[in-house]
This record gives sequence, structure tokens and C-alpha cells, in this order.
Amino acid sequence: MSSLYYPLNLLLCIVLIDFCLCFQKYEKVYHEQLNSGNITQKAQFEYAWCLVRSKYSADIRKGLILLEELFHTDKEESKRDYLYYLAIGNARIKEYNKALQYVRGFLQIEPGNHQVHDLEVVIKRRMEKEGLVGVALTGGIVLGIGAVVGLAFALAKKH
Amino acid sequence: MSGADFKVVLLGTEAVGKTSLMKRYVQDRFHPRPHINTIGAAFASKSVSSRGRQFVMGIWDTAGSERYYAMSQLYYRDAKAAVVCFDLSERVTFDRAKQWIIELRNHEEDCKIYLCGTKKDVIEDGTKARAISHEKVLQFSKGIGAVYIETSSKTGESVVELFQLIADNCELPSAKGKEESVKLQLSKKSETCCSAS
Repeated sequence: MSSLYYPLNLLLCIVLIDFCLCFQKYEKVYHEQLNSGNITQKAQFEYAWCLVRSKYSADIRKGLILLEELFHTDKEESKRDYLYYLAIGNARIKEYNKALQYVRGFLQIEPGNHQVHDLEVVIKRRMEKEGLVGVALTGGIVLGIGAVVGLAFALAKKH
Repeated sequence: MSGADFKVVLLGTEAVGKTSLMKRYVQDRFHPRPHINTIGAAFASKSVSSRGRQFVMGIWDTAGSERYYAMSQLYYRDAKAAVVCFDLSERVTFDRAKQWIIELRNHEEDCKIYLCGTKKDVIEDGTKARAISHEKVLQFSKGIGAVYIETSSKTGESVVELFQLIADNCELPSAKGKEESVKLQLSKKSETCCSAS
């Protein structure tokens, strides 16, 4: 796991290994309810809570769909929890702008929430870091091309 | 384990003051404003020294709301110490603490339990009455082999002492974890506090 991805996983508290533990349990409950045609919000939330911890972006996206659905259908006081995980899930699949939108939405309702302020900092730091990585890579390529061109010139002179 | 050598988990009913306890210890701060429900769990780490050892304590501050009850086992998994909190003025939070202890005993045999009565300042200044006598709780905790401590995150009373006791009593795992924690200390400040799921 790259150190770049460390802070967000820290925010998730549970290291990714634990994903398997929760996944089997909550997926089973969710699918049983899905088959019986009556999904409780509890089961849907627990399954989504688990999915956003996956290392696969397809799982995370599935979790996000379930959370969005809950956000639109569940009662007001539950919305903060969904917003928080929508932000985390989007950040984990690098949809940073979307993640920040959820963070800001949350902070509009609860401006003093430290947990969400911390999340905002982590997302912004991650955006910055990835931006810097991009610049470093481009720099390296330019340097590489320069070296090749230089070598070609040197060889041409010899001949 | 997120770069920490030693995992401590905070458990207890909603609004007993788990987050305040953690904030007082890690940041030495107290926010008197209305209670904000923790979402999922929050994580903080602090570099501690005890008995000539230097290590990083990772603290998982879990949400007390029922919504996260089903997931709590995942949060306290592999914890070496659990601070089970209850509000000294609310009897029902003590009953709930007992349930947490039973659960911990069933799932995490090696986890040391610290029973923590919170908001001692409210009892001392007479704002609220003590719901259960000190002796009774002490007797209960002795019976289950737990340490009992009463704290106030507002005044800071016994907060550092509680975590120092946890550090003094802890047995550190293998040397590999130690290396990771050194990296964490080098790359970050010795104290971090962030929220979590």
C-alpha cells in the first residue's frame, strides 16, 4: 500500500484486511433481504459501509449508489452519516471534487464537526500530493527525452 | 495496524464523553459546546513513553450510537486495551458498559479492560447526582479484573493518568510493528488526530 493512500485508510479506521470479515457477513444479509424483496435501511447501510472499504473501485461505486439511495430515502438525522461515507468513498476512487462537495454539504449543516474538517484536510492533501506526483513525472520524462536527444547529438557528431 | 504499536479502543453509550476523553488526552483540549455524534469511529495516535519504552498508542474512538453497534466488533478487534466509558450520573450508561464488557470478554480475551466513569466534574460541582456509588463500581470492576477510574475531560482530572496506566500495563507486540511506528513518527508529528469512519 502506497504511503499516499495511508491517511484515508486511517480515516476508515479499519485496515483493508478487515474488509473480508465484514463483507461476507453484510453481503449475505443484504442479498437475503434483496431476494425477499424487503431491504431494511440498516442492512443497506451496513453493506454500503463495508463496500466503501473495498480495495476495488467497482465495490466502492456500488457502495456509493446504495448510500445515495439511502440519503434520498432515509430520515433527516441519518443523512450526516451517509454524507460522510459518500465523501470518503468518492475520495477513495479519486473523485475528489465530488468528495469535497459532500464535505461542504455536511459542513453547511454542521460547521463545527471536527471529523469532517479532518476529512476535508486529508482530501485536499491527497489532491495536492497527486498533483505534485504528476509534475514530478512530467519532469522526469522531459529529462529523459533530453538525455536521449543529447545522446543522439553526441552520436551524430562522432559520425 | 495503522502504524500504531498498541491499539486502544474506547467503547460506551452515546454521549458519555468518549471523544472528549480522547481529545483531552491527545490534544489537551476540551470543547464545551453541544454534543456531536461521532460517525463510525475516529482515530488518533500519540507517542508515549513508559518503563523506558517509547511507542505509538493508536486510539480508536468508536461511535456510541446504535447505528454502529453491529460494526463495533470490527473496531475493537485486536485491541489490547479497552476503555469502557459510562456517565457517572446516568445509571443506564453503566448497565450498557457492563454489556460491552461481557461482549469484550467473549470476543477479545487478551484485551485489558479499563472501566471509566466520566464527567466527574458535574458530580463534584453538584450539577448532577451520582447514579451509582463509587464502591459498587469498584467492587464490580475488581470482580471482573478490570481497572476502575473516574475522570473529567473538562478539568483533565485523571485523564493522562488513565492512559499512562494503559501504557504502563501494555505488552508490546513484535519488533516489526515498532519499525512502522518509527516511520509514522518521522513523517508526522507525534500526535495526530483524525476522524474516521
